[in-house]
Parts: sequence; structure tokens; C-alpha cells
Amino acid sequence: MGSQHSLSVPHVIVDSIHGDIHLSDLEMKVIDTASFQRLRYLKQLGMGHVTYPNATHTRFAHSIGVLGIMARVTDLARDTLELSSEDVQDLRLAGLLHDIGHYPYSHLMEHIDNIKLTEEFIESSESNKTLIASSQKYFDHEIVGEAIVTSQEDLVGAIGGEERATKIAKLFRREESAHSQLSKLIHSSLDMDRLDYLLRDAQAAGVPYGKIDLNYLLNNFHVSNKGVLGVKLKALTAVEQFLYARFFMHKAVYYHKTTFALEEICRQLLRRLKDNKFEGLPRDGNEVIELVKSKELNLFNDSFVDRIIEKAVQGEDDLIKSLASCLRERKPPKLLKEVSVYEQIGTEYHAGSAFKKDCRNRIQSLAENNEVDVRRIIFCETKQLKLEQRAGMLSEKEARSLEDSEREEIVKVFKSEAEEPVSIMNIDHSILNVSSNYFYQSFRLYYVPNFNESNTNELVNNMKEEVSGWE
Amino acid sequence: MDKQQIGLKLALDTLGVPLQLESFDDRLILQKTICLIQAAGIHLGYSFNWYLRGPYSSQLTNDAFKVQHDVNSGMDESVGWNLDPGSISKIENLKTLLISNEDKSTHARKVELLASLKYLIDRRDISCHQSLEEIRSYLLGFHKDYSTQEISKSLTQLKQYGFTA
Repeated sequence: MGSQHSLSVPHVIVDSIHGDIHLSDLEMKVIDTASFQRLRYLKQLGMGHVTYPNATHTRFAHSIGVLGIMARVTDLARDTLELSSEDVQDLRLAGLLHDIGHYPYSHLMEHIDNIKLTEEFIESSESNKTLIASSQKYFDHEIVGEAIVTSQEDLVGAIGGEERATKIAKLFRREESAHSQLSKLIHSSLDMDRLDYLLRDAQAAGVPYGKIDLNYLLNNFHVSNKGVLGVKLKALTAVEQFLYARFFMHKAVYYHKTTFALEEICRQLLRRLKDNKFEGLPRDGNEVIELVKSKELNLFNDSFVDRIIEKAVQGEDDLIKSLASCLRERKPPKLLKEVSVYEQIGTEYHAGSAFKKDCRNRIQSLAENNEVDVRRIIFCETKQLKLEQRAGMLSEKEARSLEDSEREEIVKVFKSEAEEPVSIMNIDHSILNVSSNYFYQSFRLYYVPNFNESNTNELVNNMKEEVSGWE
Repeated sequence: MDKQQIGLKLALDTLGVPLQLESFDDRLILQKTICLIQAAGIHLGYSFNWYLRGPYSSQLTNDAFKVQHDVNSGMDESVGWNLDPGSISKIENLKTLLISNEDKSTHARKVELLASLKYLIDRRDISCHQSLEEIRSYLLGFHKDYSTQEISKSLTQLKQYGFTA
């Protein structure tokens, strides 16, 4: 990683992925704050280490890695976008701080309000279910990050004041209200975040799927006259390989059935505890913001959830104890059935949707037939995994009709460096034109054993047999 | 559907507007409508950032297409769910503001301004106490060309519906 010509970067951190990363005095000050050091105690892959034991790398290392990539991109874009040293420094800080607001265990806590418990998932002829929209949900980590950056004194001081801290926050939140050309760099098609984490996660997990040709990609980045970042046509294969790498990493690592099962158990546990106003767990998004603005921020790391799990194991409720024990003792729930599909986007009925419908209609009777608590049978599904993350179920043709603001995730390629880049889907000979019309998704049904029961294996086998008979 | 998607469907059902995503104006109206619904205290969980056409949530676009697809496939998981009474009441109060007989592009223009002003006021980028010309000038910086009359009307409506003091 080279040094910036006009930004002094006298410090060096040696990174296992990118080699030497050169840092300015200001960046070192930010890194040395307690608020930033908290990232050392947040695992990048949440519970990935239960499947891949070496996957214990931290958000701290990843954040510095993203800064390293941002440094290379700002070098490239400096002249075209007429970036001042301050602009460059702001972008680098935005890269460094983009994950400052992460919750413990990656994305587990962030989305617990969206979790459906089994009793909410199953079809029921009983009374209506109520969705409470009157209390503030947990905010996403970028909003939490903004709260931290603009209110934690150590960070505000290190950055150089509240005004600059606010500007940095707007940058990592990809707000256009910041310098419009700068935000186009954060808002770029090839995400700095992804470029680091694919390599880092793959190396830590010990799998080959995340290997991307980072140098070739970065060396072929180009910024148009309108400030749009894209990749030169000659690097098309590297781009395609990057998109495939992301796809395979999701399949093999992020959605691995054991990791996914334990993460789902954790989400279910936290959701139930939150509903019961468990002491120590923020009751709503406002309490999260209060917490991260306070001196308690430094305790808001993976151990925060570990302590909650430990308390839950000691509790009275059998289901809660079972969920917590699964996590503490690394005993994943039992997989009763998995249906994976690879279907064309827009396909309405497929094996996965049929299985989901069966689960909604039959989990209750499955529980009754086997005399188990229905809440111990958990259905979950991965997100739809597509090569090109365009909005929703749009076909390739529909996606081409989206406005720019709607298609931030679509990779852009320069057919000619003199022109504005086009969507990769407009490159006729790209493999994306065929494979981007499909999605992969996995649907899984699990049973959470009661560790008091002596006949778990028999129960599981019976349930598997019953479920296998579903059409 | 996850609960966030169910919440989205319920909010639109309560408001009495169909989920339409065919044109850019349809999607813009959806974005700004949900932004304003959330600003009124109905927490659907969408984070908005400021993009070229004002507050925008990419997650909302994704969810809207998913919900539409599920409903069209006969897999509407919002059946059997209701919003809490407080949220229903708040949405009812917004109907006269958010439902319109105007043509789509006029309505889109109106809700874009309402949502944008509310967003910028909340972030303290502008203030209700600034002159209309100052606000107009600020919006022009984002290529939003609204007259001072339109801005004045929107500010009045925001106050009338409790979005601003």
C-alpha cells in the first residue's frame, strides 16, 4: 500500500491480507481510542468460529483493511475528482469507521425485531397476531455508528470536532448530502467493505472460495468524468470472479448449516428475552442509542451476549434454558429437513416455497404427534442469494430500468474509458447475463432438544421420517 | 415474509394504498410515504439515507418487491396479523395527507418535498425558521427545484400533521 503524496502517513500496521497499511497521525489517534478498540472484541463472522475454528478475526482488523483499500481508491480518484488532502483523509476515516456501530456477534442482534418465533410463523385459525410498531426497533449498525462517532468524546476529539465527525458519519452512511463526489466513492459499485471481507473471511475460515484478484481489480478501477467508479472492461473476468466468490462464500461459510442454525438459535433466544424485558438487554432502539452514547459502550461487545447467554442458562424457563445451552455448549439444533433451490428469478412455486408452506401448515401437528413443545421446532430460510444483488425479484430487463439511486449494488464496467460506465448486465459476453437470472436459497427445519429428555435421537428420527413424507 | 415485510404490508393496507412498483414514480411514492409514516412514529424498521431524490431506503425497495412477489404467489404471510391500535390510529390520521387523487407525478413531487423537508429538518440541515428562499436555495443544491409556495405549503402541512413543532 503506497503512501499518499500530499497526506502524511508515517505509521504502518502490518495486515495479514494487504501487507503494510500506512496510516496518518489522525488515523492512529482514532484507532487508539477506547471506542475504536472495542472492535477488537467483536468477531467479524459472528458465530462462524463454531464451524471454522480459526474464524475469530475481528472487526478491528477488517476496519483497518477497508481503510487500506480506500487509500488505494482515493489515490486513483484524487485527480479526476479533484480531492483535497482533507477530502482524502475524510474518505479514509469513513472507511476506517464504517463498522464502528456494529452490535455484538455481527448482525445477530441488529435484526432481532424481524425474527418470527414459531408461534408467529405457523398457520393458526386462532385469534389475530399483533405487530407492534409503536416501539422503536433496534437501529441498523450504521445509524448506531453515527451515534457513536458524533457523541463519544474520545472519538470526537480524535477526529477533530463534532462537525467533522458528523461529516465522516454522513460519508459512511453513504449520504449524498455530504460532498456529492465523495459520497459517490463510498457509494461505489465495488464495495470497499466486500473487497476486504471476502479475502479476510476466506483466509480465516481456511476456504478457497473468497480468493479474489484484488490487485488486478484495484489496478483497473477507473473514475468517470461524472465521478462514477467502475472497472475497466479488461478486468471483466476479475469482476465476474469477485461476484462468484461472494456467492460461494455465502453458500459455504455465511450460510453454513451449523453456523446458521446456532445464529438462528441466538436470534430466537434474544428475541424471547427481549419480549420478556430481560434485564440488561436494551428494550428498544432508543435504549441501544443511549447505551452506545454512554461509558457502557466498551462493554457492548461479544461478551455482552455471552453474559446474557450464561444468565439465561441459569433461568427457570425450559425453552430459554435449552436455547441458551445450545449456544454455550456448542450443540446445534437437530436438522429435520433441508430444501435447497436454485431457481430462475420470478419463479413463484418451487420446492422451497412448497416446503415452507408445508411447515406453516404442519409444524403444529408434527409437535403434537411427537409430544414436543411446538416452539422447539424452528423454521428458517436464508436470504435469496443472487450473483448480482439487484432489488427484489426483478428480472435482468427490469433491473436495467431502475434509476441510479435504486441500483447501487449493480457493478459498473467501462466499455470505453472516455464514456460513463454501464451496468455489467449490459456487457453481452458477460457470464452474468445468464447466471444472474437465478437465485439460490435454503429452507431448513430444526428441532431444539430439551436436554432433560432421554429419547432425543428417537424423537428426531421420528420427526425426520414424518417430515420426509410431506409433499 | 419476515416481520419487517409484514409490517410494510400492514401499513400500506391500513393506509389503503395498493403496493405498486411498476414505474419510478410508484417506487418514489412508496419510499416517501413510508418515510413519512415512520416519521409519524410508526416504526417499521427502515433506515433512510439521503440520495439524489431525497430520503431513500434500499432495504425498503427490496422488501417491497419481495412482498409483491409473495402476495402474487398466494403466499401472503401478513394474513392473520394486525398492527397495534396506536399505529393504526396514527396512520388513519395521515390518510388525507398521503392519499391523493392527483396524477401520479404531481403526488410524487409533493411527497418527495414533504419527506425531504422532514428529513433535513430532523438532521438539522435546515430549520423551519429559515426563510423560504434559503430553504429553496438549499434544495436547489440537490437539484430539487421547488417554488417558495410549494415549500411554504409543505412546511404548513408538516406542522399541521404533527411532524414539526
